[in-house]
Amino acid sequence: MRRILVALLALGLVGIVGSAQTLTVLGPWASGGEMELFIPVLEAAEAELGIDIEYQTYRAEDLAPVLTAQFAAGQAPGDVIFMWPWFVADNATHALDLTALINPAQFSGGALDPVTVDGHIYGAAYTAKVKPGFWYRKSFFEANNLSVPTTWEEFNQLLDDIAGIDGVVAPIAAGDGVGWPLSDLAEHILVAFGGPQLHKELTSCACISCGNWKSVFRAIIVDWFVYWIEMGYFGEPTEWTQAVQLWWDGDYPLYFMGSWITGMDPVTDKTDIGVFPIPGTQGFVQAVDYAFVPAYTEYPDEAQALIQYLATAGQEIQIAQGGHLATYSLIDTSLYPPESKAAGDILVGKVVLTDLDDGIGGDFQTTFWDQLKLLLVAPERADEVIDTIIEAYDAECGCE
Amino acid sequence: MNRLRNTRRSLFLVPALALLTAFVIYPVVNTVYLSFVSSEGAFNFPGNYINVLSSRDIVDLRGFTRGFPFGALIHNLIWIGIHLPLTTFLGLFLAVVLRNVKGSTFIKSTIFLGMVIPMIVGGVLLRFMFDKDAGILNAFLGAVGLTTKSWTAYPDTALLALIFGSVWLWTGFSMVLYSAGLGTIPKEVYEAARVDGATPWRMFFKITIPLLRPITIVVITMTVLWELKIFDIVYVATAGGPGRASNVLALQMYQYAFRSRIFGFNEAAVVSTLLMLITLGVAVPMIVSIVRKERR
Repeated sequence: MRRILVALLALGLVGIVGSAQTLTVLGPWASGGEMELFIPVLEAAEAELGIDIEYQTYRAEDLAPVLTAQFAAGQAPGDVIFMWPWFVADNATHALDLTALINPAQFSGGALDPVTVDGHIYGAAYTAKVKPGFWYRKSFFEANNLSVPTTWEEFNQLLDDIAGIDGVVAPIAAGDGVGWPLSDLAEHILVAFGGPQLHKELTSCACISCGNWKSVFRAIIVDWFVYWIEMGYFGEPTEWTQAVQLWWDGDYPLYFMGSWITGMDPVTDKTDIGVFPIPGTQGFVQAVDYAFVPAYTEYPDEAQALIQYLATAGQEIQIAQGGHLATYSLIDTSLYPPESKAAGDILVGKVVLTDLDDGIGGDFQTTFWDQLKLLLVAPERADEVIDTIIEAYDAECGCE
Repeated sequence: MNRLRNTRRSLFLVPALALLTAFVIYPVVNTVYLSFVSSEGAFNFPGNYINVLSSRDIVDLRGFTRGFPFGALIHNLIWIGIHLPLTTFLGLFLAVVLRNVKGSTFIKSTIFLGMVIPMIVGGVLLRFMFDKDAGILNAFLGAVGLTTKSWTAYPDTALLALIFGSVWLWTGFSMVLYSAGLGTIPKEVYEAARVDGATPWRMFFKITIPLLRPITIVVITMTVLWELKIFDIVYVATAGGPGRASNVLALQMYQYAFRSRIFGFNEAAVVSTLLMLITLGVAVPMIVSIVRKERR
């Protein structure tokens, strides 16, 4: 009996001493392409930092209530958590101050602004995905004698031409689901016709300086977005990952999507894809992934080391696989694969903008997403949709 | 001696009472309290209730002129109005039809699978089931030459699609209860009725339905309670959209508590309290009915 007890005690001690610290990283990337591109980054971090890392998929929408409840209990479900920047800023008191770890001068302009509160940095900028325009298959364009539009007239003619091709359901895929695929497109239209400055000021809630932005916003949505919907240029709302497959298969030859599309499963030949914006667009939305270290982590030193790695060297590993652009300016740009370089080239000389709904968040984000889903299927209710969006924006930004 | 024995017996209730207090009574009392105060803790009745009930998220009277949405509260009532009679009738119908059928156990088990599926999974299934390109419903409609579309993506059909889809998920519950209830009706009652010349329809309406009344009360009560707190199916399938057209109270409560900056926990507590009051209004009559029956 005594020997058994000693053996059990020894096993227990070995268990305690032998167990490595395992950091938990929570991120939105699920299997199907995106997660498989992120795992090598974590594996490199493990090798570099000598820590074990476990990755768990958690969408930001699902993480919001979990974090709110856990923060109230002084806990956190992970050690490094990827989350919306507005959420990180709102919950700065529950995050570790990373100001000493991250040098804003080494990141692309303004990348850390959304997660900086009162001069202190509470989140790290990871890679960004740009939303450059409408992705298409070059083989489809070649087979149907189509060319990339360089003027507004050519763009509308292209939509007409595609609509008339046999086998095409509609020119543009309408990714649905949560609602952000439509909001990305709406923002692109807003920037194309309203200019980057309008988008920038809306995102910063500078409602006063915009002047009569509401009538401009209404005119842009009605005159262009609603116009295209009523012309039948958009497909039936389809879950956005399913829409990628349909786009690749040619049901919907154009798909407005972020640069991550190049890394998704249906895209088997990356040399066959191209992208173009609405001609004349002077600014592009760049969606940066942000991470933070909750103040309740059991391993603050290790978590901070990990987040610093992800924000710097980790970005090189991610961008080399395609679909992402670095926010860290000290990376080797020759690592970009051709399709990412093409997306990045679109940004050259243009204004880089922060995602509108990710930047403002709260009720505005959910309302913006939800109302655009309604607009797509019921364009006759455009006035009501626009009124609701404006109302939500005013309430969120404290505008009169 | 009896007093000592009673005291000892009462002590065994303490752990259960402690858990009940910690996990039921305290949260309920705290939630009701939160519904009466502002975020700063100041007494704010009926301010919070007015804020919530006047919000278009809860009641949107414009729906009566332009169509969905009508507001989460009315959507829940629509859900009850359609889903309850359908599942109740279908459950009874299936229980009666499958009563003496060979292989009925297997068939009933298959129907009951809908209840076994987690509602989150049920929501995902419904989203794809009604999808224009991937959905089984549209495959059938297309085969017979009818219009196909993504039924959960349109404001006028989103809520109805979820309701009819959830009939499949919940009918197994009423079917199983009615099956069990049918087994308690003595065969002699039917034999006597047959001898008296009663037709099957007459026996069904004059014997079966009245004798299944206690089961019906339980089915209706449990179904209404489920319909009031519906969340996961809607969250996954439509997120309450498009344009709040399929929003329900529980989902709105979640939005107030965890996604909104303008509203917060206090407004979520108001919705929770309202749900609790409606639930009590449904559950208490059932409990009273059962207690009265036991006393007889």
